Amino acid sequence: MEFASNFSDQLNVGLILPEGIVVATLLAVLIGDLILGRRAARGLPYIAIAGLLLSIVSLYFYWDAENPTALLGSFSGDDLSIIFRGVIALSTAVTILMSIRYVEQTGGALSEFIAIMLTATLGGMFLAGANELVMIFVALETLSISSYLMTGYMKRDSRSNEAALKYLLIGAASSAVFLYGSSLLYGLSGGKTILPEIAQGLAQVEGGELASAIALVFMIAGIAFKISAVPFHQWTPDVYEGSPTPVVAFLSVGSKAAGFALAIRLLVVAFPLEQPQWRLIFTALAILSMILGNAVALAQTSMKRLLAYSSIGQAGFVMIGMVAATQAGYASMIFYLLVYLFMNLGAFTGLILFSLRTGTDQITEYAGLYQKDPLLTLGLSICLLSLGGIPPLAGFFGKIYLFWAGWQAGLYGLVILGLVASVVSIYYYIRVVKMMVVKEPQEMSDTVRNYPAVRWNLPGMRPLQVGLVFSLVVTSLAGILSNPLFTLANTSIENTEALKSASTFLEETTAQNKEVSLADPMAPAIVEK
Amino acid sequence: MDLAQGVQFVSFIILAAMMFSAALGVVLLRNIVYSAFLLGAVFISISGLYLLLNAEFVAASQILVYVGAVNVLILFAIMLVNKKEAFPALGRNWLRGGATALVCVGLFALLGTMAISTPWSIADRAGVAAEGSVIKIGKHFFSDFLLPFELASVLLLITMVGAIILARRDLIPEEPPESGLTETEAYKLQERPRELISVGKSESEDQS
Repeated sequence: MEFASNFSDQLNVGLILPEGIVVATLLAVLIGDLILGRRAARGLPYIAIAGLLLSIVSLYFYWDAENPTALLGSFSGDDLSIIFRGVIALSTAVTILMSIRYVEQTGGALSEFIAIMLTATLGGMFLAGANELVMIFVALETLSISSYLMTGYMKRDSRSNEAALKYLLIGAASSAVFLYGSSLLYGLSGGKTILPEIAQGLAQVEGGELASAIALVFMIAGIAFKISAVPFHQWTPDVYEGSPTPVVAFLSVGSKAAGFALAIRLLVVAFPLEQPQWRLIFTALAILSMILGNAVALAQTSMKRLLAYSSIGQAGFVMIGMVAATQAGYASMIFYLLVYLFMNLGAFTGLILFSLRTGTDQITEYAGLYQKDPLLTLGLSICLLSLGGIPPLAGFFGKIYLFWAGWQAGLYGLVILGLVASVVSIYYYIRVVKMMVVKEPQEMSDTVRNYPAVRWNLPGMRPLQVGLVFSLVVTSLAGILSNPLFTLANTSIENTEALKSASTFLEETTAQNKEVSLADPMAPAIVEK
Repeated sequence: MDLAQGVQFVSFIILAAMMFSAALGVVLLRNIVYSAFLLGAVFISISGLYLLLNAEFVAASQILVYVGAVNVLILFAIMLVNKKEAFPALGRNWLRGGATALVCVGLFALLGTMAISTPWSIADRAGVAAEGSVIKIGKHFFSDFLLPFELASVLLLITMVGAIILARRDLIPEEPPESGLTETEAYKLQERPRELISVGKSESEDQS
């Protein structure tokens, strides 16, 4: 009896209830499709959305849990993970809204698509809370393999096949590199797999600098592939162009959020001593991503590719918070990802609506859309302006917070570069808005001239409308009423023991051990926190 | 050095030489079928190394999974797509080969230096052999690696579903058949046709 209660305390399975709900929904969708057949399966997407929302609600009950470690240390349900898991689940719920009509129209099987997407979500959610190397790898693979499957879902489209193959090959290579890095960590720390224990093990090793530097570089390479940071972005344009648009939306929000969650937890908890090194690497990644993502986006003619490159640039902005490596920095990353979720998914919903109605996504074809479809124009414009960071909208406050956190941490050059990059990004977002709104009726493109009558009562259109209006409302209101989101991001960071104990661990070891080089000019900013 | 250590040393040398030469063959041979068979040899030598390290479960699963499944799959793929195609010869082949060799040798030198210079902590290595690795792995699966173990089952399920989805032939009766494929036996396979809510834009306008 004693043993049983002790053991269940240690297991603490309740913490993974949200993931359990997602698994149950996944099975319900798969089995429901098998039993009920295609016609009765129309309701399955709504079951999936309901399951995801239920999972988000259940996340709320574990907010600030007393004992955030579950399953003997392999999973950590602290507030940092809760907020990332919420972001990932919410992004999937919105993505499912936009994929119902899209998948049906392209002739794919919808319920299997949703099942695969739920598995990707499950992988992402577990990745956000994974606290142990084996768990991290299995969750990462769950996310990646489901993403490869979704990328190649339009199997009659050769571009989709090409995208899936490229994604699979490059992804497998980066997973292998990541795995090599983790095996080095395992060896260096004396056979530990739980992240805080690895940090302690690494601190005790004398003369393992080369090996831990190689492990760090290899693991960052694996993560950078997931968040498609330059120079690990080569797969992004092709994969984004070839794969179904809802999948691109998921890859650019849900999958990226999972990558950032992994980056924060892995680097802060397992590599506290290498902080100057990984901040340096992330500075390089952020600079390259901001410059290349925004510069190449200028030249794009297709809306889908434009959003692909802009998402690379946006990842660069988020990395400023990572480089700052302060509590404010992490909080600003979370805040930006929260608003980025709505504005980017809103933009993708608009893109899908336009291409479903007209069959094209060329930017020039958007000319004069305002006359024919005001709601779509409004939604798309607001989301694009918010992505660019125009003042009263959510994206502006997200960027301000990121830049402020970077400035506080002394990253003046990086912040100024970020400002320049976001001015550049405003140019190409505004270009699309101008194309839709400003054009006179006689300048209207042929596609818009033949625009079908707007009807929301066709099957599968209602969810798209709901998704568009929802993102529109949140994007425009989250700017003015950003305080709750702001407090949410801040408290989640403050309540997370892992980040705190990692920074105190860093201070202690540097106090004991003066040889540990913190001669880096950025270092004082972290130590004083 | 007693007899057991000597046997171990000699078998390590043999396995390493086997693996090294087979791996070089995989990379350097022109005929892809030879490469695939030599890859099997590499996998078998690796499993021999695992046996030397007292990891009999890993050795067995190495042979079952890599030689039995992965390598056979590779051979199937090669033999199914065995299309002879004359590729145009690329210029400056030696330069490409040289650059690749340079990068690989550099990487090997870096990793080799790291492996030698790092003081690996190899404290409790004896415990594995005493208990048997299968028992130890089983205990880990149901204690501290419980969550990854369970998650892997979801991963396998969805991989299976996804593989079937990608490999299945969709039969869409409304569409005009593509040229030349109409009479093939394959298209007459029994498969439940799915009703589409719409195939194109024009049809979706009629329906509501």
